[in-house]
Amino acid sequence: MPDLQKLYDAILNGDNKAAASITKEALAQAVEPMDLVNKYMIPAMDEVGRRFESEDCFVPELLLSARAMKGSLELIRPLLAARGTEPAGRVAIGTVQGDLHDIGKNLVASMLEGGGFEVVDLGADVSPEKFIAAIQSRRIDVVALSALLTVTMPTMKTTIEALTLAGVRQKVKVIVGGAPVTKEYAKQIGADGFAENAISAVSLVRKMLAEQPVA
Amino acid sequence: MDQPVRIRLEPLGEVIEVASGTPLKDVLFLRGVEFPCGGHGRCKRCRIKVLAGNLPIAAAEESLLSPGELAEGWRLACHARPETAVTLEVAQWETAILADDSTFDFTPGEGLGIAVDLGTTTLVAQLLDLSTGRTLAVSSTLNPQATCGADIMSRVQYAVLENGQHRLEAFIRGAIGRLIRNLLQGWTGPEAPPVRRITIVGNTVMHHLFCGIDVTPLSRVPFEPVRDGLEVFRATDLGWEIAGDAPVNFLPCLGGFVGSDILAGFLATRMQESDALVGLIDLGTNGEIAFGTRDRIICASTAAGPAFEGGLISMGMRASTGAITEVTASDGGLQCRVIGNASPRGICGSGLVDAVAVGLEHGYVQPNGRLPGPSHRFPLCPPVELTQGDIRQLQLAKGAVAAGIRIILARLGASPSDVQRVYLAGAFGNYINRTSARRIGLIDFPNDVVEPAGNTALLGAKLALFTPDIDFASIRARVQHIVLSADPNFEEIYVGEMGFPTA
Repeated sequence: MPDLQKLYDAILNGDNKAAASITKEALAQAVEPMDLVNKYMIPAMDEVGRRFESEDCFVPELLLSARAMKGSLELIRPLLAARGTEPAGRVAIGTVQGDLHDIGKNLVASMLEGGGFEVVDLGADVSPEKFIAAIQSRRIDVVALSALLTVTMPTMKTTIEALTLAGVRQKVKVIVGGAPVTKEYAKQIGADGFAENAISAVSLVRKMLAEQPVA
Repeated sequence: MDQPVRIRLEPLGEVIEVASGTPLKDVLFLRGVEFPCGGHGRCKRCRIKVLAGNLPIAAAEESLLSPGELAEGWRLACHARPETAVTLEVAQWETAILADDSTFDFTPGEGLGIAVDLGTTTLVAQLLDLSTGRTLAVSSTLNPQATCGADIMSRVQYAVLENGQHRLEAFIRGAIGRLIRNLLQGWTGPEAPPVRRITIVGNTVMHHLFCGIDVTPLSRVPFEPVRDGLEVFRATDLGWEIAGDAPVNFLPCLGGFVGSDILAGFLATRMQESDALVGLIDLGTNGEIAFGTRDRIICASTAAGPAFEGGLISMGMRASTGAITEVTASDGGLQCRVIGNASPRGICGSGLVDAVAVGLEHGYVQPNGRLPGPSHRFPLCPPVELTQGDIRQLQLAKGAVAAGIRIILARLGASPSDVQRVYLAGAFGNYINRTSARRIGLIDFPNDVVEPAGNTALLGAKLALFTPDIDFASIRARVQHIVLSADPNFEEIYVGEMGFPTA
């Protein structure tokens, strides 16, 4: 039986090789996959998030931890899928049309994955049609829109309007974020939530899905 | 209602009277205070402190400033409309503007010429005697467009979303017209030699806004201008009254947001004629990087942000009175050099780079950027200190520049050791300590390769006055503009460059 605390440490320290090897070993010895995720991996990412919030660590450490988490998840996911285990929620994320910045969006996507959600990353410069198609085909619970430029921020509004027109707005929660975006702006364009950074995005999605399970 | 209100502005000691309820933004802007977010109450950079009197708190201020800050009297100038007498301390200071006094080779001509460096933040113009090459007068001012946003993207936003293109054009044409009028005082009348030509350089957004070209293409993917070549006007087209109606040339851009200020930098450093691999780095409100030889130059703009000018740093300020410009370690303590023999009030870009370099050397800053110890603060000279957030801002800024250099060199198939010379343009390049810049991993070249080059934009604009037949098409054909964030390895390289070298 491997020392699973080491999985927690490996993810916390961003050591993707150690994380993958402990995960493999644990799965080979028939450790319950959901236990790995819920008892070690998610708590490790939560601790990384806490350190980020308290400024003890920064973007590079966050990304290394997220990559270690992702590597382990890729080993575990096929087992969960084979059993039909559903994720805590599905989030479609993308940088809105006209905006090519994706580092911030990638960070949010990684942290959401680290938080136990399945993330459908639609990339950068994503048209409203792509968001709509994802909602229709992938059973999405939350749509996360990112914009890094003041000039592309209004596209968040037009994307939300397009969801309404396509009749899928009620099926999902919409959250927005990005450097120029404010809480007031989020409210003004009819988003359901706003997150200041990747860490608060995770707690926001958790809170939303706990409060009101989406049908 | 019409009772005038007395406002005393510290530390200038100036007293002004305005009508009750006048927006403080208008009053302060005329006195050189900048509004980086365009006065939208987002950036907190126009902070003022109420020293005496009363200034009511606006709702927006309650969400942006902490209760402690509000209690101490901090307000945002962009929201304030004083109705009774107040004494205010303005957190920003006057700006030092870099002109150019270098000597250069030229072919003598006739009459007078005017060179203008149209910066996002500042405007500098020089009047030249084209027969002697002598500078007859210098004039500078802040770019009045700054009331509508500090950086180029907020100008584009103002032009596109708030229908402000014509307003920005009128601002800048008016301001340069006034600069030129100042320069020509004493050089008018029948005796004075005629003005032969006027050359203006600036980044692509400044080019478009001055020339009356729609900036909409610069607001959306792929952020490429559709018309960015040489633009020629007559002075009268611009509403300027100059004897002889001299031609006004706005030099061509290089691609994307990289404009004729960098093209002028090539002329000033003769980079486009160089056999050896050389670089030009300009870190201003907008950062630009170019590397290459006479055969091929690659250039890009970076999202370095304003950290190197003291922006987004909690006690950051421009290089002016009270700013820490240098930090060194001696006898187990820190020595800070402060501009103007004053007590320290803040820190400018060169001081920040020094402080972090010293901090890394002595363990006050860890290579991953962390400030050890429970307070997460790095005290320099009281009351000036760096916060953990300040170090993070520097990591983002220096990571962007270092990543830009690496990506451009990789595209050229070169390594840093192949580079024979790196010109650092602008005020920051003049003040920065090269050893410190290398220590923090901003510019990884030996000191003797790096050369502070001054205001190369203005120098290049002057050179262009003497050589009206520069083959811009030939230069532009050899320059390739790249979008750094579109590089498949950008994220990897950028994140990798956010850390500091271990030794």
